[in-house]
Amino acid sequence: MKYYFIVLLLSITPRLFAQHEVSGKVTDADGIPLGGVNISVPRTSLGSVTDFDGFYTIQATSAQDSLTFSYIGFKTQTIPIAGKNQLNVVLSEDTEQLKEVVVTALGIKKETKALGYAVQEVQGASLEKAKEPNFISALSGKVAGLNIKNSTDLFQNPEISLRGESPLLVIDGIPDRTTDLWKVNADDIESISVLKGATASALYGSVGRNGAIMITTKKGKEGKITVNFNNSTMFQPSFIRVPKVQTTYGNGDNGNYAYVNGGGGGSEGGGWIWGPKLDQPDPSTPSGYMETPQYNSPINPETGERIPIPYISRGKNNIENFFRTGLVQTNNLSIDWGNDKANYRISLSNVYQKGIVPNTDLNNTSFSIGGTITPSDKFKVASTLTYNKQYTNNFPAVGYGPTNYLYNLVLWTGTDVDVRDLRNYWKEEQEGYQQRHYNTSWYNNPYFQAYEYLQGYDKDNLFGNLAAEYRLLPEITLKARAGANVYGLQRTYKEPKSYVGYNEKSLGNFTVQNTNYFDITTDFGIRFEKDLTENISLSGEAAYSGYYRIQNFHSTSTDGLNVPGFYNLDNNAGTTLIGENREEKEAIHSIYGFVDLGFYDAFYLSITARNDKVSTLAKGYNSFFYPSVSGSVVVSNLTEMPDWISFAKIRGSWSRVSDGKIEDIDGLNANNPYNYIQAYDKGQPWSNAEGIRYPSSQYGRLLISDALKPKTSDSWEIGTDIRFFRNRLGIDIAYYQAKDYNNLENIPISDASGYQGYLLNGNVYKRKGIEFTVNATPVRNENFRWDTQVNFSQYRRYIDEIYGDKEYTEDRLKAGDRTDKLNNVSVYQTDGLGNIIYENGFPVTDPYGRYVGYTEPDWTYGFSNTFNYKNFTLSVLFDGRIGGLMYSSTNQKMWWGGISPGTVNQYRDDANNGESTYTGQGVKVVSGDVTYDSNGNITGDTRQYAPNDIPVNYISFMKTTSNAHNENYHYYSQTFIKLRELSLTYNVPETLVAKTPFNAMSVSFVGRNLWLSSKIPNVDPDPGKDNLQAPSTRSLGFNFNLKF
Amino acid sequence: MKNIYKTLFITLFSSLSLGSCTGIDDLQDDPNRALEVPPELLLTQLETRAFNTISLSAALATRQLVFTDGVNSDQYYNWQRSGFNAYEDLKQVQQMVLEAERTEMPAYKSLARFFRSYFITGLTRTFGDVPYTEAILATEGNFAPAYDTQKDIYLSVLNELKTASEELAENGDNIRGDVIYTGDALLWRKLINSYYLRVLLSLSNKTGDADLNIVQRFREVVNNPGTYPVLASAEDNGVLPFHNIEGNRYPLFQNNGLQTAYYMEKTFVDRLKTLQDPRLFSFAQRTPKAVQQNMEVTDFEAYNGLSGSAPLDENVDIAGNGDASMINERYYKEAANEPGILISYAELQFILAEAAYRGWISKDADTFYKNGIKASMEFYNIAEEDINTYLENPAVQLGENAIENILTQKHIAMFMNTGWQIFFEQRRTGYPEFDVSGGGVLNNGRIPKRWMYPAKELTQNRANVDAAIERQFPEGDDINAEMWLVKKE
Repeated sequence: MKYYFIVLLLSITPRLFAQHEVSGKVTDADGIPLGGVNISVPRTSLGSVTDFDGFYTIQATSAQDSLTFSYIGFKTQTIPIAGKNQLNVVLSEDTEQLKEVVVTALGIKKETKALGYAVQEVQGASLEKAKEPNFISALSGKVAGLNIKNSTDLFQNPEISLRGESPLLVIDGIPDRTTDLWKVNADDIESISVLKGATASALYGSVGRNGAIMITTKKGKEGKITVNFNNSTMFQPSFIRVPKVQTTYGNGDNGNYAYVNGGGGGSEGGGWIWGPKLDQPDPSTPSGYMETPQYNSPINPETGERIPIPYISRGKNNIENFFRTGLVQTNNLSIDWGNDKANYRISLSNVYQKGIVPNTDLNNTSFSIGGTITPSDKFKVASTLTYNKQYTNNFPAVGYGPTNYLYNLVLWTGTDVDVRDLRNYWKEEQEGYQQRHYNTSWYNNPYFQAYEYLQGYDKDNLFGNLAAEYRLLPEITLKARAGANVYGLQRTYKEPKSYVGYNEKSLGNFTVQNTNYFDITTDFGIRFEKDLTENISLSGEAAYSGYYRIQNFHSTSTDGLNVPGFYNLDNNAGTTLIGENREEKEAIHSIYGFVDLGFYDAFYLSITARNDKVSTLAKGYNSFFYPSVSGSVVVSNLTEMPDWISFAKIRGSWSRVSDGKIEDIDGLNANNPYNYIQAYDKGQPWSNAEGIRYPSSQYGRLLISDALKPKTSDSWEIGTDIRFFRNRLGIDIAYYQAKDYNNLENIPISDASGYQGYLLNGNVYKRKGIEFTVNATPVRNENFRWDTQVNFSQYRRYIDEIYGDKEYTEDRLKAGDRTDKLNNVSVYQTDGLGNIIYENGFPVTDPYGRYVGYTEPDWTYGFSNTFNYKNFTLSVLFDGRIGGLMYSSTNQKMWWGGISPGTVNQYRDDANNGESTYTGQGVKVVSGDVTYDSNGNITGDTRQYAPNDIPVNYISFMKTTSNAHNENYHYYSQTFIKLRELSLTYNVPETLVAKTPFNAMSVSFVGRNLWLSSKIPNVDPDPGKDNLQAPSTRSLGFNFNLKF
Repeated sequence: MKNIYKTLFITLFSSLSLGSCTGIDDLQDDPNRALEVPPELLLTQLETRAFNTISLSAALATRQLVFTDGVNSDQYYNWQRSGFNAYEDLKQVQQMVLEAERTEMPAYKSLARFFRSYFITGLTRTFGDVPYTEAILATEGNFAPAYDTQKDIYLSVLNELKTASEELAENGDNIRGDVIYTGDALLWRKLINSYYLRVLLSLSNKTGDADLNIVQRFREVVNNPGTYPVLASAEDNGVLPFHNIEGNRYPLFQNNGLQTAYYMEKTFVDRLKTLQDPRLFSFAQRTPKAVQQNMEVTDFEAYNGLSGSAPLDENVDIAGNGDASMINERYYKEAANEPGILISYAELQFILAEAAYRGWISKDADTFYKNGIKASMEFYNIAEEDINTYLENPAVQLGENAIENILTQKHIAMFMNTGWQIFFEQRRTGYPEFDVSGGGVLNNGRIPKRWMYPAKELTQNRANVDAAIERQFPEGDDINAEMWLVKKE
């Protein structure tokens, strides 16, 4: 169908009007060909681009036309054709005035040299080839200071932090407070600007206080009609990291295993993998191996008892056998067209993702239109509208517990169970009522989980904006803009009977949740722009901005199901349905403005100011003002620089941003606009003996100050941007510091005061960080070009003042400590020399939390390279982190449950034989005592020690300690390096393309997440946390791009 | 032409401005939560907190159950800190008082006196001194309350309970939201007076204290049943019913752990076997081996426990061999199972029996003792003839070891109910003996006498907690330290 559409479009391609052909070669001053130079015929839609060797051909309307040659970093030239057919052009580098522009706050394009703060831009083209399911993941390693922690699970948001905080997402100048990372298709992205720090986005108001990721979507381009088709198919055929488990011992406890019914006590019900050795020869059995009744044993029809079957390691390949090859397929078709009066673009995209878990997938379809009309040079209207649908019948549940696939498949299943034997997942004659599994108390059969426990998600997004400008006077422009986000989301949860939850078995349940969302942001402004003198430019804007949001949430659940597998609220088995609903409304009214001044093309100054009135703080405290100032000096324009310095700039900024919304406070609903109000919450309704039902209430757990002020950050930043050797080498360094005060925080108070905490303006934090970006083009010659970028960054946050002059915070941090210090970790007691203290052979828990390290990485880095050789482009991106600890549930549970390869040893064999032979390394107390002050400091210590010599049962020891003291209490270093992206693109040469109906063709072979080296075992440290994540997959695929 | 664009711009301008017309002040009421509620909504909440007394931890610490999935600190007596969560409940009590004053419904204020006493008693018996007079004053700016001495707290509790009972005789005609007694003030007075007797008995080490005047107070209640009615039968039990409704189910319904990792404790099972106590059949399942051998449910030999003090691996082996009884299926298979008990008629009878035996009241200890046993057995639906047989068993008779026998019966009657009450009774009397003879027990084979203060107090209320520790425990905040309540005077 799509094919016919393309053919139809082809037939209307306006190629036929051209009358005069010009060709030639474009080079730089050194004679090196310039590929990708834009050539256009002014006042027409005609245009062309040079190929890699610098050659071009263009059809002009007449021999009297001119041709305009433009190329980033070079001076634009317009040359009359003057009847010629051959026109070779030498472009000179624009070294003194490097006209790089980036998109800044409010969508305003500014020259980079005028910016007093750090901005880094990523071109949409670099996201097109190696596709990730969402565009944010594709930014990994590309921007200094932007740290993306990618999830390995299907349809889970990556964790994004910009300078340690969560940035705002802005689409075409309109803040997207829904932070839906899935609703913009990478193919529709023209460019992404990352505005770091508060100054850059002070104009968005409070939401922009942590910086912004600004997405500019593609618009129609001036020129002939272009049809672009992009297909990308990525497979996930293998894993770069899966938990490595032992296959020596099977399910059971203390070396015993005998299946009874999968649910009782004894050696099977507990679900441990501390069972007997597998594959043990036993000449007395028919199979020659040790045999025992198992869940899949045949039943003796006479006795009704299970017939023992060999206890062997059938399930060595459970991971490979259960998970399937994942797939991400992206198709995009776009058409754009434009002239100097109007342009227009239509885009249709679909991303289909097939999960590695059977019966899981995700569809993500977008249709967007956008365009600009400029009927007169005084008036301009631009608009875009996107409809996006995200839809799945089932995507996997995540987190540690029986909803997790690895939990059921690897962590808690010994290799005596072969997952292929579980494909039939209902217990015989109990279909719909009882699943079949080797253990039905704690775990779910993974197939049962995949095919019967279904999480549906259906979201309709509609978002767009309209912006109009009218030039009243040559210097004065009126502006109006509005952007809206609307969505409807329905989520369903289908839970079959006998489904195992964390602590109990389900009676079967069905839950439907609906959310309706609407927000609108409107801005009206007046812009003034004038060059006061030849050397002084002035521009400024004053504007009003309004924001309004309404959101309704509703959830209804059954209380058990009558008929199994029939998911409807009517099928409720309980006496009543369980429901919940919530309504939220909020608004912000703001006035803001800015002034930009430029002197002598060398000094730039920008001042912003804003006043917000918010509905999310109490009257009297909800209107507040905050300013910023930033500036830059282009040193290379001031003084004569040595030849090898092409550009040098220093920049600096200071800003204050205040935020009047109480966001993520433990015990309050995140993002709830009413969090400043002290009120009653719903309690647990209860029925009396006669069955009469009473509702109940409870007063909130936090005491909320009635004088809450907005929280405020003051930050400053300095940086430099220096380029050498005709821009072949560029270095950008940024250093920033921020002080966060008046933080809206839950300050812990004594529980005995009646509240767990007091929500007030308290605590002062300092943040600081440094970012380096080095760009270089080490090689550039006729056929070969190598571009490389290295970026690395460090971020630190400190607690500066603790509210109420307390000595310690709840995490046992002192003023001046880094906030990522792990200083309150439950550990075992030591004798002061680092030896663990044992009692009765078991380590003794320290009643005070202790220090184990820091969580924030020392450095986050990315290293990207692009090699162009003739028509081939090879891109390679490595990224990673150095230092910082993360807690690993997977590793802890592997030791605890008996599946860790480290548990294969003689002590375990001894324990299986009933012998207690494991003596933990450390000491025991033979006499004396220890006393502590209330900070856990030892005040008196008369303990005398002897080496621990009490052997204990190895299995009991591991079940009690998880080997924590030997594994840094399961805090592991995050240090890793990853081959994030590798792509090889072949741009079909124009000479070949000319023989096809196409204008341009390219094909790429791409890979993502290809290789990993890390300090932490068994899990991919990329997500920065491990709560039993899916195994990390390798993606391989290809990309086709066709232009008509 | 020019004007068209101007008009167009203005039209766009004004239509866009529709989006921003909502006033800030109109959005400052929370539509989802209430600022004021009738006090009955708080009563329901408090009842479900106070009467929901099912605790597996208590069952492990009192040698009723054994855990096999790891070395459990309740079972092996190496626990450390406990929490101050009950202050959250005390705050809800305080809110009920405020709402009762606002709505002029004094009965809720009287009930609040009981709940306040109940929760603070639970705190002080756990730790020793705790904040009381300065507690729940955050709204007045006290975020780090001073600690009251345990004696002062008990004095206050005794007076409050008495006042509550007296007031409810006058104002108790309009109590709604009551899932325990459906608003019957007389039943509430019975419960409060019975609880008052429990508190007095818990102070049995302090009979010499003239301020407390325990014996006199005890007599005052027992001798004035008209003014101070007490629970008269099992019908009057202070219990929270469980229902087959989401959130109202027996807390261990469908519980995985209970079905796989908890077993009956050996000394407890052996005691029931020695006494030929048919309640064993209601508490426990036969061992898997006994089931295999088709032994009768009523055969005492079909039951066996794991030793709470034995090393973990020994217990795991015995359980793995099918030689250990699990708890009766009803505890995890029945959504309603049995109600949560705050205080029962049976317990009251044991309280009176002990008081009579101690000579606090001049009544017959044996009658109370047997009434208590009978009431407990009826709670478990034991047939009357079996009860009578049991009551005639020589081993059951009150006899010379009366205190031990009463406490032993209390321990049996409180299997999986009444929270930690039996632990504190044992701490007070030493009965029944909790086995620490096995090789698994930590804490040097001692049963802890208390819990350490919550870590949060060390950061948020350090001066006060330090002062409290210093004046009570020269050895520091230690689980083996003896608080005032435990010390004999």
